[in-house]
Amino acid sequence: MTDETKVKLEEAIVNLIKEYANKKRFKPGDVVKEMESKFSASGVTKDDVKTAIRDLTDSGRLIYGYAGGSFLALPE
Amino acid sequence: MSKKHKTPLLDELKKGKWPSFVNEIERAAEKSEMTDDLLGQVEQSYEEKVVHWKHGGMVGVKGYGSGIVGRFSDLPEKYPGIKEFHTVRINQPSGFFYTSDVLRSIVDIGEKHASSLFNFHGSTGDVQLLGAKTAELETIFQEYTKLGFDLGGSGSALRTPSCCVGKARCEFANYDAMHACNSITQAFQDEMHRPIFNYKFKFKFSACGNDCTASIARADLSVIGTWKDSIRIDQEAVKDYAKKFDLHKYVTDKCPTKCMSYNAEEGLKIDDSNCSKCMHCINTMPKALRPGTKGGATILIGSKAPMVSGPRLSMVLVPFYDIEEDAKNDYEWFKDLISKIWEFWDEYGVNRERIGELIQRVGIGNFIESIGLEPLPEMVASPRGNPFVLYEEYVEAGGEQG
Amino acid sequence: MAEVSGVKRITDIGPHDYNDFLHPVIKKNYGKWKYHEILSPSHMVHVSEDGDKIYTVRVGSPRLVSSSFIKDLCDLADKYSGGYLRFTTRNNVEFLLDKEENIKPLLDDVGKLNLPAGGIGNVVANIVHTQGWVHCHTAASDASGVVKSLMDELYEYYVNAQLPTKVRIAFACCLNMCGAVHCSDIAVLGIHRRPPRLIPDRIVNLCEIPSTIASCPTNVIRPDTYNGKPSVKLIEEGCVFCGNCFTVCPGMPIADPLNDGVSIWVGGKVSNARSKPAFSKLAVPFLENDPPRWPKVVEAVKTILDAYKKGAHNGERVGEWIERIGWPKFFKVTGFEFTKYHIDDFRLGEATLNYSAQIRQ
Repeated sequence: MTDETKVKLEEAIVNLIKEYANKKRFKPGDVVKEMESKFSASGVTKDDVKTAIRDLTDSGRLIYGYAGGSFLALPE
Repeated sequence: MSKKHKTPLLDELKKGKWPSFVNEIERAAEKSEMTDDLLGQVEQSYEEKVVHWKHGGMVGVKGYGSGIVGRFSDLPEKYPGIKEFHTVRINQPSGFFYTSDVLRSIVDIGEKHASSLFNFHGSTGDVQLLGAKTAELETIFQEYTKLGFDLGGSGSALRTPSCCVGKARCEFANYDAMHACNSITQAFQDEMHRPIFNYKFKFKFSACGNDCTASIARADLSVIGTWKDSIRIDQEAVKDYAKKFDLHKYVTDKCPTKCMSYNAEEGLKIDDSNCSKCMHCINTMPKALRPGTKGGATILIGSKAPMVSGPRLSMVLVPFYDIEEDAKNDYEWFKDLISKIWEFWDEYGVNRERIGELIQRVGIGNFIESIGLEPLPEMVASPRGNPFVLYEEYVEAGGEQG
Repeated sequence: MAEVSGVKRITDIGPHDYNDFLHPVIKKNYGKWKYHEILSPSHMVHVSEDGDKIYTVRVGSPRLVSSSFIKDLCDLADKYSGGYLRFTTRNNVEFLLDKEENIKPLLDDVGKLNLPAGGIGNVVANIVHTQGWVHCHTAASDASGVVKSLMDELYEYYVNAQLPTKVRIAFACCLNMCGAVHCSDIAVLGIHRRPPRLIPDRIVNLCEIPSTIASCPTNVIRPDTYNGKPSVKLIEEGCVFCGNCFTVCPGMPIADPLNDGVSIWVGGKVSNARSKPAFSKLAVPFLENDPPRWPKVVEAVKTILDAYKKGAHNGERVGEWIERIGWPKFFKVTGFEFTKYHIDDFRLGEATLNYSAQIRQ
């Protein structure tokens, strides 16, 4: 995965969570499936998406929430 | 005694011979003022017979989706000290072994930054620090990592694996459960700290069929010690036991497969090919009998508590796994099996569905086929008794297959 | 590794290596133990192939403990066991001693701290339990209080071995069952009995509707709308009071002081010895919450234990005893009423019916 794709992937993940805020709780697994298909042409793998989620949560752009199951959310 | 709150109901629980958790909360409050309000709130629960904690919330340490369980009082004005009173799960060392030095350091962090109140240990196995404020979580986390301890699992993640005392202090151990538990925990740190599963997943390692970790009742993957060769017998020690109690009544007659006999002349005889490794005779005569030397493990899958579709016990997946051999290879075979199970769960499972429930839904036959295992008679108590079989093939006239 | 305000954060180091905490005698004899002998309900010895010995002194803890409690234990460990100790899965503390002569003074000091030494052999083992009202939001009962009341009453069974074999009791404060409650000799389980209350404002604002609907094991949570927003409705007749919907959706609280309480289950086990592992079965469908000491729960558990002690053969677990005498006799000797709630009508429940004419008339 190129650096450029990585940036696009991270933006797409954040936008997905933003778009569905208060409507749907995205499990990290759902995000992986969603992004794998969205970026299939760029050769993005499951591990690439997992790494992107890890970078986004490490930097604090996304946080984990829990309500009977874990999900990704924007920081409060 | 609580400084701020009157607690007549809780005070009743300071009486009696068993050590009192109320005394412990009070002792914690002497070190951490915030904990005093816990006494007030629990007293109120005792008066009203209802819980006063709110639903969780968005708390954690940066980068992890695990290890912290949010806990908020629903009476924060009345009990400000426990407005935020989160659980910090600290991954225990395998076998729950400690030195006094490290234990003091573990609880010092709780005194300095939180409630001074602990579980040694929580049901899954972690040390639990009960009662940390949100603002302190990052500091607490960093203090524990400096001490060489990390957070355990929570949420839709791999939960902290746990094991029995194993070879460290038990002659019944058929494999090195502590080593396996520690190695597997280290191998899957990412799956433990960054929830990506449909729901929780638990490993428990017990080194014999006595199953001191209760793995068969509460682990998605239960690894239970067994052996291939013969029970080791010290006939002289058997004779000593025969002097103490009726060996027929308490040992041979209780053998579930009736694979053993005893008389004074010939001693104890065991048909090991018919022994189901239940441990009864060994438990009863530990000085005389030991499991064989070709140790390994049975891998079982799918046990869980009631949520969502009812409680389950684990069922046999791999009758004999040469775990000691695989340990030499850093458990590669086992890790590969786990990956296949998780891939299947990721592909076909739904939100909050445990692996045991998924297997029930799709059928065990389909599951084992998907992860590349063969159907074996050890997996069932008996073959099916009903003729509604999903035959997958039939033959057309002329020998063609349909 | 991520940085927070210039500090290098340490992450994913995993659990501390247990090898750093092992007693030298344990390290030397790791995997070389030959046999063990229970010397009393509070201590045992393990002997290795080389003849080395490690003595274990077991002490009960209330599970919920202060830092001061742990430091008391540390002081005892420094004085008598070279600083080495461990915990058991049932919240006992074990001091690991290489000097036999230290056992008695250690037990004396344990007594001075008013801690119980015991829990080994044919005893009531320490009761494993959950958080209850002290630290859980889904609790239908307190845990620590019921367990304290039970252990006060069963104290003699912990410190003296006087039962046919070991008895494992467990307590869970709701059906989430943190711990293996459902496979215990005697299990006490917190239960709700009234369907959740629906708070529409909270449901539409705080809950994810599809997962709330999916959380119901009997499919009685159905889609609905509230002020034009997706919400849920509940068909109360089909509710089994599991509380799973509340776990997923804070708008459906199920706790109710008048109707919450505990149920009692018997005859489960996890060990493979003799008989296969088994679920605990329903003995008492409901006892009300009666804090601070839950006298009816204590009495019911005592009734089961007394009947077991009187009726079981040596070496028989509670479930094995009941299998031998039959369930009708269990209800007769305990005096518990058998009701329609005892007959399983949930999924897989059919397997529990009696398809034979084998009856002890």
